[in-house]
Amino acid sequence: MGISALGYINGVHVIPPGRYYDKGYRELFAEAALKALESAGNPDIKAIYIASALSELTGEQLAIGNILRDYSGIRNAPSIRVENGDGSGGFAFMVALNHVASMNDGCVLLVGIDKPHEVTSLKQNKYASYLLDSDYESYFGATPVVLAALMAKQYLKNYEYKYEDLAAWAIKMHERGAKTPFAYFKRAAKLKDVLESELVADPLRLYDVSPFVDGAAALVLCSKPNTRDQAVGVLGYGFGASNSYFASRNDYTALMSVIEAVKAFNPLNDFNGIVSVHDTYSILGVLALESLGLCKRGSALRLLNEGYFDPGGKVMVNLDGGLKAVGNSMGASGVYQLASATMQLRGDKPFNGLNAEAAVVEDMVGVDQESVVFMLKVVK
Amino acid sequence: MVDQSLSVPKYWRRIPQYYRLTALKCRKCGRVYFPPRAICDCGSREFDEVELPRRGRLIEFTVLRSVTSDFEKQRPLIFGIVDLNGVRVLGQLVDCPNPEKLSDNAEVEVVFRRVKEDSDYGIIYYGFKLRPLKGCW
Repeated sequence: MGISALGYINGVHVIPPGRYYDKGYRELFAEAALKALESAGNPDIKAIYIASALSELTGEQLAIGNILRDYSGIRNAPSIRVENGDGSGGFAFMVALNHVASMNDGCVLLVGIDKPHEVTSLKQNKYASYLLDSDYESYFGATPVVLAALMAKQYLKNYEYKYEDLAAWAIKMHERGAKTPFAYFKRAAKLKDVLESELVADPLRLYDVSPFVDGAAALVLCSKPNTRDQAVGVLGYGFGASNSYFASRNDYTALMSVIEAVKAFNPLNDFNGIVSVHDTYSILGVLALESLGLCKRGSALRLLNEGYFDPGGKVMVNLDGGLKAVGNSMGASGVYQLASATMQLRGDKPFNGLNAEAAVVEDMVGVDQESVVFMLKVVK
Repeated sequence: MVDQSLSVPKYWRRIPQYYRLTALKCRKCGRVYFPPRAICDCGSREFDEVELPRRGRLIEFTVLRSVTSDFEKQRPLIFGIVDLNGVRVLGQLVDCPNPEKLSDNAEVEVVFRRVKEDSDYGIIYYGFKLRPLKGCW
């Protein structure tokens, strides 16, 4: 094989995100988990990792592991729930990865699951505000979009961009989502749609915000590659953190946690392949590209508009449409990113013909609280 | 039973920060932290309490139209980052009906205001807000 990986993604399954009023946490979990296990050849699993941010808030359920396991008939493996806000998926994957890296031969199951649509949008906003410091930020009514908007304003001002330049993010993500079978938004968007959408927190409009969706995505992570087909290995990861109190940060136009996390790898300025960024808000996708070191500070929006990050190029960003089009399933979102990157590397439809060898996946907690970045590679 | 969803002790213990912007100043290097921290970046754990200045400059602001359930009646909310003599805080801007008239570096003062109420029978929560000195009418 020639590549030494920490673990291998031997099975994946994603539920098309949406508003599942007819299904609860257990139904979505079972569907994603059982199909992912089946796709990996039903191996024995040593642990079930559950990435969820909202299970007690919208599901009114603590200790959800055994409920989900019993309904799905998965026995003899302990369940471990990981909560780290909308970055739960990436952080659960990091823990699961360390688990399989410590085994000679074995597999674990990771399921990212959340159901924001159990509650109204006002409640969803309140729960999203819990991603901020509840004593000193959300106490006063601030929410993640406030922080993202302040960053967007500073970025557009500092680098002399217009809002129309930022609108390209939403347009490109909708365009990609239209071709992705599991995307929530499957409709292309025009500049007019973006410009006429309601302001959420200026300059950010509705089209700059990823929509809350119910979702479940599952991965089977093993210490040895699946021999039945092309496998995807996880070569490594990096972690980083920023100041928790937003106003105290030195720079409002960079994601310090991403800059820290990517130090685990060689500089990515020559990276060639697939990139998946956690674009809960358009500006965070743009800033992630710069903070990952894929381009210079202040240049991402220009390059995006010039098509540098489009499919077929050297750096292909959010080929599935990102959180903007696939949807923001909170704790599950990072697992969607990882599952999607795996499908893209394997060349599963509609991602066939890309011939990419490697993928960088960036998952972030809130607005630059903590980030984790993974490097995935095809193992031939 | 009183219909109360917010925690009283969670509010009460932060009153020094909410009412008076009480920060911590490191005895070793002099750095000021708001909100307070247990350890300074220089490694020291010894601090003195200081109150942040009541006047500062606006660095950036945004108008939030999609608010949380606790702030539904106050929509829209204006949020700003304000520099209070080198310490930056995030807070609500008030007495500003036309935020588009706010200028960069506008001078603001700290004021004491009602923040939110806990339904019909819970307590009323107070805290600092930020008022542009020249207004924005």
